[in-house]
Amino acid sequence: MSFDHDSVVAFAKSFGLFYLLALSACVLVYVYWPSNRPRFDKAAKTILEGEDRPWR
Amino acid sequence: MIAQLTIQERQSALMILGGLALAGLALAVAGGQDLLAAHGWLTVVCALAGLFYVISGYFEPEPSPERLARYYDEPTKAGVVIAMIWAIAGLFVGDWVAWQLVFPDLAFEGAWSSFGRLRPIHTSGVIFGFGGNALIATSFHVMQRATRARLPDQITPWFVLLGYNLFCVIAATGYLMGVTQSKEYAEPEWYADIWLAIVWVTYFLLFLRTLARRQEPHIYVANWYYMAFILLVAVLHVVNNLAVPISFGSAKSYSVFSGVQDAMTQWWYGHNAVAFFLTAGFLGMLYYFLPVRAGRPIYSYRMSIISFWGITFMYMWAGSHHLHFTALPQWVQTLGMTFSVMLLVPSWASASNALMTLNGAWTKVRDDATLRFMTVAAIFYGISTFEGSFMAIRAVNSLSHYTDWTIGHVHAGALGWVAMITFGSIYALVPKLWNLDTMYSGRLVELHFWLALSGTLVYVFAMWNSGIIQGLMWRSYTEAGTLSYSFIDSLVAMHPYYIARAVGGLLFLLGALVGFYNIVMTIRTASAAQDESDAPVLGAAVQAGE
Amino acid sequence: MFGFHYRLERSAMGLVLAVIAAGSVGGLIEIAPLFTIDETVEKAADMRVYTPLELAGRNIYIREGCYACHSQMIRTLRDEVDRYGPYSLAVESQYDHPMLWGSKRTGPDLARVGGKYSDQWHVAHMINPRDVVPVSKMPRYGWLAQNTLETEDLGLHLKAQRRVGVPYTDEMIANAQADAYGQTAPDSEHAKGVAQRYGEATQVRAFDGDPGRVTEMDAMVAYLQILGRLTDAAHSPADKTAEAKR
Repeated sequence: MSFDHDSVVAFAKSFGLFYLLALSACVLVYVYWPSNRPRFDKAAKTILEGEDRPWR
Repeated sequence: MIAQLTIQERQSALMILGGLALAGLALAVAGGQDLLAAHGWLTVVCALAGLFYVISGYFEPEPSPERLARYYDEPTKAGVVIAMIWAIAGLFVGDWVAWQLVFPDLAFEGAWSSFGRLRPIHTSGVIFGFGGNALIATSFHVMQRATRARLPDQITPWFVLLGYNLFCVIAATGYLMGVTQSKEYAEPEWYADIWLAIVWVTYFLLFLRTLARRQEPHIYVANWYYMAFILLVAVLHVVNNLAVPISFGSAKSYSVFSGVQDAMTQWWYGHNAVAFFLTAGFLGMLYYFLPVRAGRPIYSYRMSIISFWGITFMYMWAGSHHLHFTALPQWVQTLGMTFSVMLLVPSWASASNALMTLNGAWTKVRDDATLRFMTVAAIFYGISTFEGSFMAIRAVNSLSHYTDWTIGHVHAGALGWVAMITFGSIYALVPKLWNLDTMYSGRLVELHFWLALSGTLVYVFAMWNSGIIQGLMWRSYTEAGTLSYSFIDSLVAMHPYYIARAVGGLLFLLGALVGFYNIVMTIRTASAAQDESDAPVLGAAVQAGE
Repeated sequence: MFGFHYRLERSAMGLVLAVIAAGSVGGLIEIAPLFTIDETVEKAADMRVYTPLELAGRNIYIREGCYACHSQMIRTLRDEVDRYGPYSLAVESQYDHPMLWGSKRTGPDLARVGGKYSDQWHVAHMINPRDVVPVSKMPRYGWLAQNTLETEDLGLHLKAQRRVGVPYTDEMIANAQADAYGQTAPDSEHAKGVAQRYGEATQVRAFDGDPGRVTEMDAMVAYLQILGRLTDAAHSPADKTAEAKR
């Protein structure tokens, strides 16, 4: 593959779109993966726990 | 402060400060007659002052191992106070230059006091001085609390905080002397940039080391935002500041980029400074302090993750909307515009997530000015991101670009969103840090809130008006097909709005002064309370902790 | 899936890498092609580099933060072309390290201000803008006329410029200081060298009205008077269409 301007531009114009789609898919899978739900719920609540000390 | 460091850390402090003094001396000697030498000597003075301070406390008893059972909050305390000092300095200079646009001779014919040299002091002072210190201070707090891990040691956070402030001071004094590379929001010259890179990498490693000490595998989302802020600001900073100094004895350097490449690199940096300095970091604040203050978990944790990746991915594309209709290739402009519009989705997801969290807690918002600061911040975040996406559209941009509308937009974000969330977070944080239930005066928080809000509104409306009028005047034609107005006509039309803007800025500055007073009084109340309590009781508490 | 994410989060490095991966693509894709863009933009044959005096003036422009209020980028909009002149081309800021396109017009655009006003006007305007434009909001820059221009290190400046890609010759670098003086002193022997190295069209005169010494005002006015005049590319239709593919 040659790196002239046209090919670089063509790559730039197409690659980003696929990358965006792939990334969105990964994020959505991660976010809606059923077994992750309890961890998210837990995480959202942890910061509200009153104990103001490190764990060890 | 030295009493909190272990003997080993005191030795490392001496070594670091000694090394810094030598580096400063090297700059001073290499600089000779150049302005570089002034900064060399400044560094030497700061390092020597630090050395004396460490030596004066060197033989104090070592901290007890009991400290490990508590969070390390001293750097956060210092950071909050330093942030407020920068806020006042930065806002003062900002208002001063605003008045200079009303009365141009307010520069008193000084070189150092002319608009062009003061303006970066205002921008850097509020963004890096106020915003940066607030981010560092709150990140130390949040990264410890949300991971339930203490900072890994006592010296790194001080190195980061004080080293960062040395950078800020070098930057600000440099502008006064005319040391600048003219890249907006990246004005400091090569040696300051190198120093900041060192500090920033240390900051990043500190963050990772704290995370490594946690027990819970999942990292709370606020820390994701702080991490993106630290990491990507490092990338932006290094790339945009690549430059070749004319010699190692001179402050002057030339950017390796030129023309159109430089423009794109600069606004890739400039817009992502907004994204990752002024948005990601402050969203970290929002996602931690708003739920904590409201006493309710974030409305949708999942949405916060989706908007995190949306912001991280899409912002990096948006910079080219600063260059519509310029010599930048059109497809790059279009790409920037597209992603800027798409950015509205994650931005509004965050804003509405914050507001939905408050659903059911609106009485708290009504009664608690601190929470109201955060609420208004979320609203302004929504407004200014909508405005930003709108202004990135080519047709709108053709009118808004180069005008005061941009200034209005930036300040809707900077005053309404960034400063408000920071003040809210600081008011939530300060009583906690100093072991009090409330601030010294709730009514002063209330006063600050109304000063800040009215100041922001006056400022933003003035600039929206002037910007749109300006844009319309520049492009209007007479029936004969000639331009209707000269540039000077548009300048005259701006005059009343410049007065209004300066008044709005003044209100905001007054609010910050009230806030500073309130914080200082809170600290004094806390230390008075500590003096009254009996020493043996404190000792007993320490034993109980062990 | 769970195990993978568990490890990803446990190490924190996974998050770091993911953030870098997500965050760096946009910049890379938009910036990288600009480094090959030279292939498609026609070179302006007459494009010349800044003389040492003009470069020094440009550095004063940077030092005083003029870019905060003045843009140097005329957009491809009818009213801008009517007001300021032909729209700016990429090639015109080819040697600008860094570029000074600006982002705000508190004052007018300066991309084509060169030759629009006389030297005397500029000097008077710098000393007190309100003497020539009564409603101006610009600060006074009177001290520029008093400060002697530092010319000793101009060779170093040219050298650094060459290192970042500006085609200064060895001869230009060696004579930088003399050329800075020569450009302000048309009757001196150094004046010839300037024309010889930078072209006959180079403006050689006492810009601040005082041929005796080289002041910062000389440099500043020399820079302002060359803005938009390093090449004629923007005025000639042939080159314009070559670049107007955008």
